[in-house]
Amino acid sequence: MERSAADKSTLLTYILTLVFIGLFGLWIKGMDIASGREAAGLIIFSLGFVMLSAYVLARIVEWVHVPLISGYILAGIIAGPYVSGFLTDDMVGRLRLIDDLALGFIALMAGGELRLALISRRARSIVLNIVLITLLVTGLVSVSILGLGQFFDVTREFDFQRLAIFSVLAGLICVTLSPASAIAVIKECRARGPFTGMILAVTIALDVLIITLFTVGVSLSKILVTGGSIFQLTEISGLIFEILAALLVGVIVGQTICFYMARVRQDLVMFLLFMTFAVARLSLGFNEWMEVQYNISLHLEPLLICMSAGFYIQNFTRFGGELIEGLEKAALPVYVLFFSIAGASLDFDSLMICWPLAVLLVGVRVAGLMGGSWLAGIASNDPAVFNRNAWMTYVPQAGVSIGLAQIAARQFPEIGIHLNTLVLGIIAINQIAGPVTFKLALSNVGESGRAKTGQG
Amino acid sequence: MKIILAFLLVIFLVFVGYHLSFRRLKVPLFARRLYLTGMEFLFIGLALGPQFANILDKETSDGLAPLSALVLGWIGMLFGFQFEIASLRRFPGIYFIAGFLESFITLVIVFTGVYLMLPFAFNVSGGARAAAALVVAAAAACTAQTGLALIPASRTAASHAIIKFLRYLSSIDGLVSMLALVPVYLFFLRFGHRADSAFGLGFGYNILIGAVIFVSLITLYSLFLSQRREENELALIIIGMVIFISGFSWVVNFSPLLSNFFMGICLVNLTSDKEKIFNTLVSIEKPVYLMLLIFLGSIWQLDQLSAIAAAGVYFLLRFTGKTTGGFVAALVARGREGWHPGLGWGLMGQGGLPLAILYDFHLGSGLADITGPVVGIILIAIIFSDLLSPGLTGYVLKKEA
Repeated sequence: MERSAADKSTLLTYILTLVFIGLFGLWIKGMDIASGREAAGLIIFSLGFVMLSAYVLARIVEWVHVPLISGYILAGIIAGPYVSGFLTDDMVGRLRLIDDLALGFIALMAGGELRLALISRRARSIVLNIVLITLLVTGLVSVSILGLGQFFDVTREFDFQRLAIFSVLAGLICVTLSPASAIAVIKECRARGPFTGMILAVTIALDVLIITLFTVGVSLSKILVTGGSIFQLTEISGLIFEILAALLVGVIVGQTICFYMARVRQDLVMFLLFMTFAVARLSLGFNEWMEVQYNISLHLEPLLICMSAGFYIQNFTRFGGELIEGLEKAALPVYVLFFSIAGASLDFDSLMICWPLAVLLVGVRVAGLMGGSWLAGIASNDPAVFNRNAWMTYVPQAGVSIGLAQIAARQFPEIGIHLNTLVLGIIAINQIAGPVTFKLALSNVGESGRAKTGQG
Repeated sequence: MKIILAFLLVIFLVFVGYHLSFRRLKVPLFARRLYLTGMEFLFIGLALGPQFANILDKETSDGLAPLSALVLGWIGMLFGFQFEIASLRRFPGIYFIAGFLESFITLVIVFTGVYLMLPFAFNVSGGARAAAALVVAAAAACTAQTGLALIPASRTAASHAIIKFLRYLSSIDGLVSMLALVPVYLFFLRFGHRADSAFGLGFGYNILIGAVIFVSLITLYSLFLSQRREENELALIIIGMVIFISGFSWVVNFSPLLSNFFMGICLVNLTSDKEKIFNTLVSIEKPVYLMLLIFLGSIWQLDQLSAIAAAGVYFLLRFTGKTTGGFVAALVARGREGWHPGLGWGLMGQGGLPLAILYDFHLGSGLADITGPVVGIILIAIIFSDLLSPGLTGYVLKKEA
């Protein structure tokens, strides 16, 4: 497609802006940081630097039709510890506090985008996608590791029992998707329609389902390791209780937001930011407190709470439209910060260690996604264009998979560290490639640009 | 965890307080004098600070430093936006001279008094003494319009001209105060306590470097604003730039308040998007201001009765400065047939800018042993001034009517 002179001038302006920001960054990075105030200044500066450079870089890569969130991630990678080193590991760790704010915010938006009417219309397709993707991805990944594990450094030393546990857990983790990436690309493309609704529902439901399945998998693996025979029903019932509790808390949060919208109305964006951050931090704090005080390991999942809140407001109150409108106003800064810091957090050390197995599993996972979504589409009589493209929207992977790998690392220290490394490596690949395939799929299906508003 | 809880608590208080103070609650006129300026948040900050609840202790406050820098940068930028040359030109040029003189006289009187008093009150000398005195004088020179805002409309209707003049003087006061801070940050604090020996080459070098940085930042802003932006993009750019400049200022030991102030002046005069930018800035103006009050309240030291006496001296110095300055301003603006000689009494309210100046200095000077008690003293005086201000302004208006 031929570009106009104005477009070229815009691109040039963006490149020049990026150069300017980069020069400031280089200058500041070269300075001696002596006092605490200067150190605090460097963190603040870095935050502004990442925010502005990610925004500009995303506009530049958009020129070649790459999604904006890939640009944000790319900016984070470039600024992060593995490329320019502008953001050190310590700084990235401090800036990750923003994750709590952003994840809750994005989850609220994801929940708010789920419309019950659309889900019920496509219920069969959604359920089949979830079941078949889970079975095929878990199965294919597990079999691949079991069959080929002896050829890779990461798994070569394992005996069969450990390899079996490793393969099942890795298989389950590979099923996880990224609701945050999904909602960001959907908003960017202004996508709306049956395909968009279906993939969003599958993405969110899969993450909830896989947390449950993973807990079952861990329990079964423990039996395998310890030689016991009693299936830990208490753990499963506990998990179900936690999920129900999170959904209930989500409804209460949703009702609080509705109360605010009905009574106060003003400054809704600020209120939503405050609420999501408060939910994220307080639920984590509550979990810690319960564990320390009563030895009760309750994990009120902040993401689930926020999704449930969004879903409740959208489908059971009259404030759904207002909520989405309010969220969209603050979405751009939230996306820019969240994805750029996610990019800076990508663990390329892990990828270097296990890249052959990671690359293989990324390929196998894609095969599982293709097979699962295609079979589900055929069985549900979905349009062929949906069936051909659905897998591309399931490629992005983040958040939950890291959490699951860390749980596995705590439960099975002898394999956990390897699993963690492998998962981080896989995420590094999927998070870079995923948004690109996602955007392509929306475009192929023809649902891009159908929504009235969107986020840049 | 404590930092996060403190952050949540501060944001919650600000949010609730903002709606109660500025939107909802109807309180009696006397209470409004304190209440509507948001000064009660100083006491909330005091209650949260190390002397009482200890939620905002030093470590937590250090952890919230990025938020402090953002707050200061935001206030600076917002204040800079007041100085649109086209708007200022609507007033006679002599008003500008009058305003400048009024403020400068206050600045000189308070600076002299504080400079002489400082060695007796605190063990401070040399550059730090001059810097502290200049900052206190700059804070004293500021004037707020809250006094005018709290006077019933029926009493202001007959005094339209003088009210316009008082408002104009209030704006110019802030400009003089900010200009007075430039040497403090460009010279004294960058050389720390070696200020006595460093004047000369270093000063010129700093001005040069400062100018280069400033021009570069303006260029960066211009590049961002050279394209037409949607509202959310503009918000991202403004937030990003305020954070960027505030962080940058701290790294080079400059003031985020000042750097964003000058940036604001340039933006309001150079960009066509000024309305949109201003709307973005003003959308969270009050919460930002209340956050500043809470942070300031948390460093308020109320453990010495002598602070009240010192606050009294400061108040008297400022009162003298404003009265003299107001007299001169009235004379310059209108000649002998001008306004009431006690015009300066209408300028007693201090408002938010001096608070930002003090907090900025407290965070940036590295002289916390001195700035802590000094901030406490001035806070008492500011509260006293803001309580008296509507009455004194009302008196001036009555005499004029």
